[in-house]
This record gives sequence, C-alpha cells and structure tokens, in this order.
Amino acid sequence: MSHRLPAGSGEVIDRSKSISFSWNGKKLKGFQGDTIASALMANGEHIMGRSMKYKRPRGVLTADFWDPNTTVQVGDEPNVRAGHRKLAEGMNVSAQNVWPSLKFDVGAANGLVGRYLTAGFYYKTFMKPAFMWPKYEAVLAKFAPGGKVDLGTPHGYYDKRYMHPDVVVAGGGPAGLSAATAAANAGASVILLDHENAAGGHLLWGSDEDRAAAADLITAAEAAGVEILENTTVTGRYEDNWISIVQRSHDISMERLIKARAKVLVVAAGTIERPYVFAGNDIPGVMTSGAVRRLINMYGVKPGTKAVVLTANESGDGAADDLRRAGVDVTVVDAREGKTIASASGSKTRVSKVGLSDGTSIECDLVVTAVGWTAPTSLLNMAGDRPVYDPAAARFFPGTPPDNVIATGGISGDGTRDELIAHGAATGELAAARAAATRHRIQAATARAEAVEGSEPELPADNRTPLGRDAHPELHRSSTHGIVDYSEDVGSKDLFGAAAEGFDSVELIKRFTTATMGPSQGKLETVNTVAVLAEARGETIAEVGTTVWRPPYAPVTLGALGGRIFEPVRVSSIQPWHEANNSTPILAGQWVRPEHYGDPQGEVRNTRTNVGITDVTPLGKLDLQGPDVPKLLSQLYTNKWMKLPIGSVRYGIMCAEDGVVLDDGVTARLGEEHYLMTTTSSGAGTIWNWVENWLQTEHPDWQVHCTPVTTGLTSINIAGPNSRELLGRLVDDIDLDPEGFKYMQVRTGTIAGVENCIVWRIGFTGELSYEIHVPSAYGLHVWNTLLEKGKDLGVAPFGLEAQRVMRLEKGHFIVGQDTDGLSKVPTTGMISLLKLDKDDWAGMTETAWALDAPYPVIVAVQPTDPNVVPEEACQILREGTKEIVGRITSSRYSPTLERSICLAQVSQEFASPGTTLTVLLVNGERITAKVMEHHAHFDPEGERLRG
Amino acid sequence: MANTFESSVVTIDSAAASAAVAVTDESDVAKASVRAADGTVAAAALGLTFGSSEHRGDTFVARVRPDEWFVMGSASAVGDAISGLDLSGYASTVDVTYSRMMLRVTGVDAAKMMEKVCNLDFSDPMTPNGGCAGASVAKVGCDVIRDDVEAVRSYRILCDRSFGQYLYDALVDSAAEFNG
Repeated sequence: MSHRLPAGSGEVIDRSKSISFSWNGKKLKGFQGDTIASALMANGEHIMGRSMKYKRPRGVLTADFWDPNTTVQVGDEPNVRAGHRKLAEGMNVSAQNVWPSLKFDVGAANGLVGRYLTAGFYYKTFMKPAFMWPKYEAVLAKFAPGGKVDLGTPHGYYDKRYMHPDVVVAGGGPAGLSAATAAANAGASVILLDHENAAGGHLLWGSDEDRAAAADLITAAEAAGVEILENTTVTGRYEDNWISIVQRSHDISMERLIKARAKVLVVAAGTIERPYVFAGNDIPGVMTSGAVRRLINMYGVKPGTKAVVLTANESGDGAADDLRRAGVDVTVVDAREGKTIASASGSKTRVSKVGLSDGTSIECDLVVTAVGWTAPTSLLNMAGDRPVYDPAAARFFPGTPPDNVIATGGISGDGTRDELIAHGAATGELAAARAAATRHRIQAATARAEAVEGSEPELPADNRTPLGRDAHPELHRSSTHGIVDYSEDVGSKDLFGAAAEGFDSVELIKRFTTATMGPSQGKLETVNTVAVLAEARGETIAEVGTTVWRPPYAPVTLGALGGRIFEPVRVSSIQPWHEANNSTPILAGQWVRPEHYGDPQGEVRNTRTNVGITDVTPLGKLDLQGPDVPKLLSQLYTNKWMKLPIGSVRYGIMCAEDGVVLDDGVTARLGEEHYLMTTTSSGAGTIWNWVENWLQTEHPDWQVHCTPVTTGLTSINIAGPNSRELLGRLVDDIDLDPEGFKYMQVRTGTIAGVENCIVWRIGFTGELSYEIHVPSAYGLHVWNTLLEKGKDLGVAPFGLEAQRVMRLEKGHFIVGQDTDGLSKVPTTGMISLLKLDKDDWAGMTETAWALDAPYPVIVAVQPTDPNVVPEEACQILREGTKEIVGRITSSRYSPTLERSICLAQVSQEFASPGTTLTVLLVNGERITAKVMEHHAHFDPEGERLRG
Repeated sequence: MANTFESSVVTIDSAAASAAVAVTDESDVAKASVRAADGTVAAAALGLTFGSSEHRGDTFVARVRPDEWFVMGSASAVGDAISGLDLSGYASTVDVTYSRMMLRVTGVDAAKMMEKVCNLDFSDPMTPNGGCAGASVAKVGCDVIRDDVEAVRSYRILCDRSFGQYLYDALVDSAAEFNG
C-alpha cells in the first residue's frame, strides 16, 4: 500500500483490520472502511475502467457515489460504484466492459476514428436498411456499457418497508441533520436519509472542528428520536409526497425499498462539485477537489506527488492545503484571478502535464479542479419546481417548491457551518409545523385515529432568513474541448455539433447526444451541458434552462423495485392429507388443489362403481341473510327465486350487464331469511364483489347481509352408488331416505360428530352424490372419518382431473372454459332458465337481443375414432375449407365410455344432432366427429343422479 | 364436538411468544360477525366508533366496518354475547370462527415489523391501541386490530382461513430480522 498516508484524525478506515481482495485477478489489501476505489488508489491502481465509446482509460474523478469512472464488477454483481461500495473480505473486483483487458482494450481504436463517431452516429448509420437492424444490434450490444449479468445467480433477498413519517429529510449534511433534530424536537416523527456511507456531508472531509460538529449533530438527532438511515437514497418524490427510498444499509436484504408517505419533505441534498471541461479532462489523475479531500482525509490515500490545483472557491483552497499536508508538491492556479487550465496531457495511464490559459505548462501527475457546484434539485423538480440560474453564483437554485417540500442547506444557498446549521434548524421547525397541520387533517379524516380537537391549523408561512449566495466565477468550459458526460463519452464538441445540426432545445440535445443520461443521471453533467449549449447558441444559461430531472435520483436495482415476492396461496383444511397421500398438486388461481392421486382414470371408475370423495372447498360460498335475499337472487340469476322453499337448492346462471355469462352455481335456502350461495371456485371473489355492488350501489334499499364463508366451510363431494350408504354411517340426525331428502334439497345436521354441517343433494359428476359443508376446523376429521367408515364400500379420493372427466361425461359446461367472453346464456343451451317475464335481471335486455340473432351453441361431440382426443381449442372447420365454424372447448378420454368425448362451440348450422364435424388437430390432421343428441355423454336421463 | 379444533397453521418455535417479535396463532378464538344497521338495537348495544375496539368482559369487540362488528372470545363467552343480542330489524350474525383465522404479532418492534408487510400508518396517533382497519398484509386482505398486551405493542390479524399458513410464514419471515 505504497500510497497510504500516515494515520489522520478524520479517517474512516480501521488500520488494525486488513482486508484482502482481488483486482482483475491480482491479490491486494485494503483496510476496513475503505471504499473499493480508495483501496485501489492506495495500492497504486489509478485506472479503474474505460470509457464507453472511445475506451479511454479512466480513473477516480469524484471518489464518491457519483463517480462515473469507477464502475466495476464485484463477483457476479455488475455496475458496482467503487467510489462508494465498502471493501469486504475476499471481494473479487474486476474492471467491466473491457476486452481483452483493462490495460489494453482493442476498443480504444475507436478513438482513431472518433471524428466519425459524433453524436447521433448510431441513429444516422444504423437505421437503414431496416432489415439489417438485428445484425447492427448484435454488434452494438458489444459496446453497451455495463458488467456481466450471470443469469445463474440466485435471486437475492429484497425487502420492503412502508413508512408514514411526518418529515423526511433527504441529506445528512449539517443543514439536514439540524433540520431533522429541530423537527423531531418540535414533536414530528422524522427519518433522515444520506446516500453516502455516513451522515455528516462535507464536514466529514473538512477540519477537525467540522468533524466534531458532525458528530454532535448526529448525536443530537439520534437523541431527538430521528431515525437515521445511511447509505440510503431518496430516489423519487411523487404525488402527495409519496417518497421512494432505497436503503442499501439494511442487514437483511441487499436493497430495501421504502415507500414513505411524508407530510413534509426537506431537501437537504447539498451541492455536487462540477468537473471542468477542457482537453484531457478525463485522463486518470484529473479529479475534483472533493475527491482529493475525501481520499486524503477520510481514507488516508495520497492521490499524487505533484499537483496542479485549479481553484475558484474554498473547496479548491482546502484541497491545496490538504495536498500540502500530505506532502504533495502543489501549484495553485487561481481562477478568481482569471487564470485557468487549457488542457491536460499524459501517457495512457496518467496525466503528466497541464497547459495553462497563459500558454505556460506545468509537469504534474495530479490535476485538481474546483470550479463550482451543481445544485441537485432532482427532488424539487419532481415536486414541480423549476430551478433558477444565478450567474453571479454560477449555479442553479430552487424556485418555488410546493408547501410540503422545503429546501435547506447548500442546495439553497451558501453559508458558514453555523449558518447552515441555523438554516437547517429553522427549516426543521417549519417542516414540523406544516407536518402538524397535515397530520391534523389526516387524523380527523381517519376513523381509527386518535381524535383531534379544533379546526385544522393554518399552514405556517416560510419566514426563514434565507442563506446568502457567494459570488463565484462562471467556469464550465475552457478554451478547448473536453468530456462533458463521462458516463456516455459525450464531449463539448459533440454538443457544439448537435447544436449546429439544429438541436436547439436542451431536452432534444440530451436525447440526441445522450449527455446526462448515464448512471449519474446528470449530477455531474447537466450544468456543463447547458453551459456548452448556451455557448454554442450564443445564449445565456438561464435562457437555455435545464432538463427535467425525473425519478430515479440514482440507479435502482430491479430487485429492490420488486421487493419481497409475496405470492399468496390458499389451501383447504384437507391439504395436509393430500400432501401426505401422493396427490399431484395443481395451482388453480391461488388455490393449491389435488389434481389426482396417481390414477385419475381409476378414480373415475371407482367413483362410478363404488364411491369417491373429493375436496371442493374452493367453491365460493356466500352466506346471505335478510328479508330481501330473494330480490337479490332474482336480480343476479336469470331464473326465478322468489318462491324457493326452505330446504331446497336451485341452480342458476348469472350474467354480466352485457349479457355475457358471468358465473353459475347453486343456492340453498337454509331458513326463512337465510341462504347459502355457491359460486365457481375461480369466480368467488368476482361474485362477492358483484353481490356487494348490487347491494351497496344499485340497491342500498335492500336488506341483505353478505358474508363470504368459502373456507369457513370445508366442502366435500361424496359421489357414487355407495355415497348414500357412506354418508349414512356418519350422520344420525339427517334423514337420507331418497323420498325424504330428494335431489336438489338441503339439510343441516351433525356429521361425524361435527355440528352445524350442511348437506346438499346435488352433483357435478352425474352420480348420486352429496356435497357436505363442514366447519373447517373439523374438515380433516370428517374427511378421515369418511375414508375410515367407507373402506368396505370402496371409498377412495378423487382429484380435480377425475372430477373434470366426470362432469364432461355428464355434459356440464364450465363457465370460462366452455363459454368465453362473448358467450350469452343461449349458447349454453340453458334457454329454459331465461325468465324474460321477470321485471329485471342483470343482462336481461342484452340476452333477449341475443336470442334474436345467430349465436354459437355448445354441443356434445364424439370423434369418429374413439381413441383420438382432440386438443382443447382445436378448430372445427367447414368440410373441405378453412372456414372456422367452431372449436372444441373441452375434451377427455372417458374411462366410463372407453372413448373420447368433447364439448364444442359451433355455429347453429352445425349444432343439430347427428351432424358430422371436421376437426383440425394440432398436428394438422383433420378428423371427423359427430354432434350428439344430449350434452350428457353418460346417463342423459339422470337416473343415477336422482337415484 | 367430537374433535379438537384444528388450525390452518403449523407454527414454529422461533416465532413463539418468547420471541422479540412473536407471531402466534390464535385461530381457535371464537369469532362472530355481527352486521347491524344504524338504529338497530344490536348496533346500539355493540356501540364503538368505526375503526375501534375494546375488551368487554370476557369478550373483545371490534367495529371493523361501519356496519360490522367482530365479537371474539371463548366459544361460550361469544355464544352468550351473541345470544344476548337483540337482532331485530336489519341485523344478523354469522359464526366466522372457521372462516377467519387469527394471528397475533407482539413485541416492542411489532409496528416496525408490520411496516414490512402492510402499508397502514402504525404510529400512535393514527393507530392507537384499539384501532382497527382493513388492510392488505403480505398481499392478503386482512383486518388488523391493535390490541396491546401489558403495554407491549400487539396486533391481531384476521384473514381468510385458507391463507393461514401462507400469512403465518410471511409474518415469521418478516419478524426474523428482529428475532436474531
């Protein structure tokens, strides 16, 4: 570590803790607290990457989060900011986007033809002919910046947090810390975020007094109850102060997205030092004064031996002082005296000489510039504010942000440390007062909140004493052309060229040249871009204006945006049994259901022969109570419901208001004003909303209480010739005699000792069957009891697949499978359920219209070859043509009939029983199939069902 | 009943009551939903403002929606409370013991943990002890009721039973950073 300075009072490294890491395969050592960049500099490694287009070697420029030249690959993680990321033991760090190596990159040959690679080169060169674009794209992709993404990398753990602080303070410098403390002391809940690794701002690389003041400010903030999150970036400000924050310092996850709804946002983002534009300004060894001060004071790194410092402000003066203390030979070029740097030159790896504006030159290995500041007004922009340029101070300042966004600190003016702290304190008090007014309003409007007294307070006016503005020379570009955007390799010459081509708007020139569009998102480049454009067009900077900063303030990983992956799944109370008994699970919506237990065809045969039980808990179930339930049912279903007897069950179809079939199911009347409605499994949520829509919006006059009880009741279908015998062994207070308990009736009673069960005699399978609904805490008990008591009856479970086969054998259509987004009731064949003499039902008019026009019809179909099962959705064609006249909607091989069976939608012309259809298989083969007389392929008279 | 209550949740020790942020299963608490319109005897008897709750004798009553209350407690206590209600007029009750499972999150950092899965404002002024609201918790529709235990933050979380294990796992995962 030949470039490490003796220990200093302000350093953040722990020299007692050595850290080993590798750089392009070379073993190196750093200290705990080092950034990757500081550790590399300490090891004499000055080149950390290559530029995007010309592949010019690049070294440290700012030595912080925004450094555009030190983006590296760490293990399988691309695009790591070496100026910010802390060194960790065993880190495998490498340069990215170089080939074959960092020291020798063949892409540097681009520099030889640089005059032809001007702004807009891609657009002009690769757009035509259009058919060549894929080939161009493949070549251009090789020049795209960025590291390598290993698609095999395990998905990281990301986290999310919601917050509702009174005040969010963006920026942990003296003003931000002071504002946070004052706001908290005034009673506000406050979080403070700093995107660097430690709060303190510029005080951290200042004097000992500065650092002591920073420590005091942090202590005071913590004592006041401020939650300080370091290494955390406010990435966006949205409507109503919705603040997006990315926290990188969280122990549990790589990055945590915080969604904060702040009552007041305090922007204390400080200022960002601008680079200076001159020939050779990107040669390694050219850096800002802030970079030098951070490297020396925080990391104990000597950045060079012979320095030229171009200074126009205190930061440059401080850098010169720091360099002298570090034993560096310093020559100061004072811009305040009208002097400046014209150019820099050197070897491929390091600057060696600068040319001054007076024509002289100086030998050096370090060039430091301190030419002014950029106010990072991004968050203010996002709040609708437009910054205003002040030529006397040579930077932009906030305009008029909304009342719930307040700027403080360096972004809003200049001052001594104490002046910044005082401004911050006044800002914190203002923020707390405004937040209190907002909180009063929100609390008053929130039912669960503590009661508030009095009327909403007036929003306090901003009576702060503004910070001053120090005079500063306007220094953007020297007499030569240099790099303006380091990330995108855009130079001032490119901007002049674009302006000459007519790109006169800063927004257009940004997009044409890509200046300010790199990873630093204009923090270093925007003002220089504007200044160069102004120069090129002979306008003032104020006349040119700025681009509009939009979120994100800094790049965010996709993982952070995705956050934790919440994928809720639902299971029935019987799921543990399914899992323990070799069921094959299938995800049906959010439900995990047993598709089968190994032999779905065997499950069908057993149910047809003996008795089967299946878990149908996902069936939607709505408890309906009230005197107006019949009115509701009449409105929702197409058939009549005003006289459903207690103890009876009725089937119905629901339509949407456009007449399209929405859902179907049965509803039972359990008591005088008590009903239980079932819906399809997938339609449960929709129908609940549909019911509430009618009750709350269309007919608030109806007295009906609707309570979803889908999983409060575990539902089991017992089907097969032995189902009555089996159920009879579990009940003693329900008469199962077929004369006393007929098809489409309902009873309540005790099953296997479980009270308050509901039994309906219905069936989807076409068999004698009972659907039982059991309080779910006892569902598994009843299931096990059925299996235990029915052993001699041949009871066995059947899954969803067997159920589908049996329903198809029986010819029951499924809403959404055999119907589609255009299907109205006539298509289903259920015309007898259309009661057009009712006053109204949802979709009645539209359904009536449908009857007067041609509509497709669902028919049962059997292929001529009983062993061919057409894929669902296979087209049905007019014979000898390609005209589509229908499609197969459901198909299976029936183990009961030992042949293939289908349901299909066909145009009416092809719906007559006995019609021969032509079905186009997926493989292109055409087969024939016959339209059957009934929907039911099996037991069309329903003798088994009603047995 | 012939059997013991079977919850939809299989719990793990690391989230037990002794944990810094404990996630415990209270699904077996009996729960009745009472729907009652303004002006009914039942609504007057149940009282409370919408969004609040309180312990009332052996039961815990929460007004979770303007016209809906949950009455919780032992089966007998809830049974007594419901049977004692005058449900005349536009009022009804449904036993939701089996359709609504209930978890409880307790601990000094319970609010911080809840902030990871739910976007309610859990600050004291906005959600005081007794406050309740419907909210998405880990993408599941829930009723969240603050019910501190011996002055320690605690939340009852009720959701559809079928989501029980998923929600429990999600909450335990969220609590992990507080439980070491």
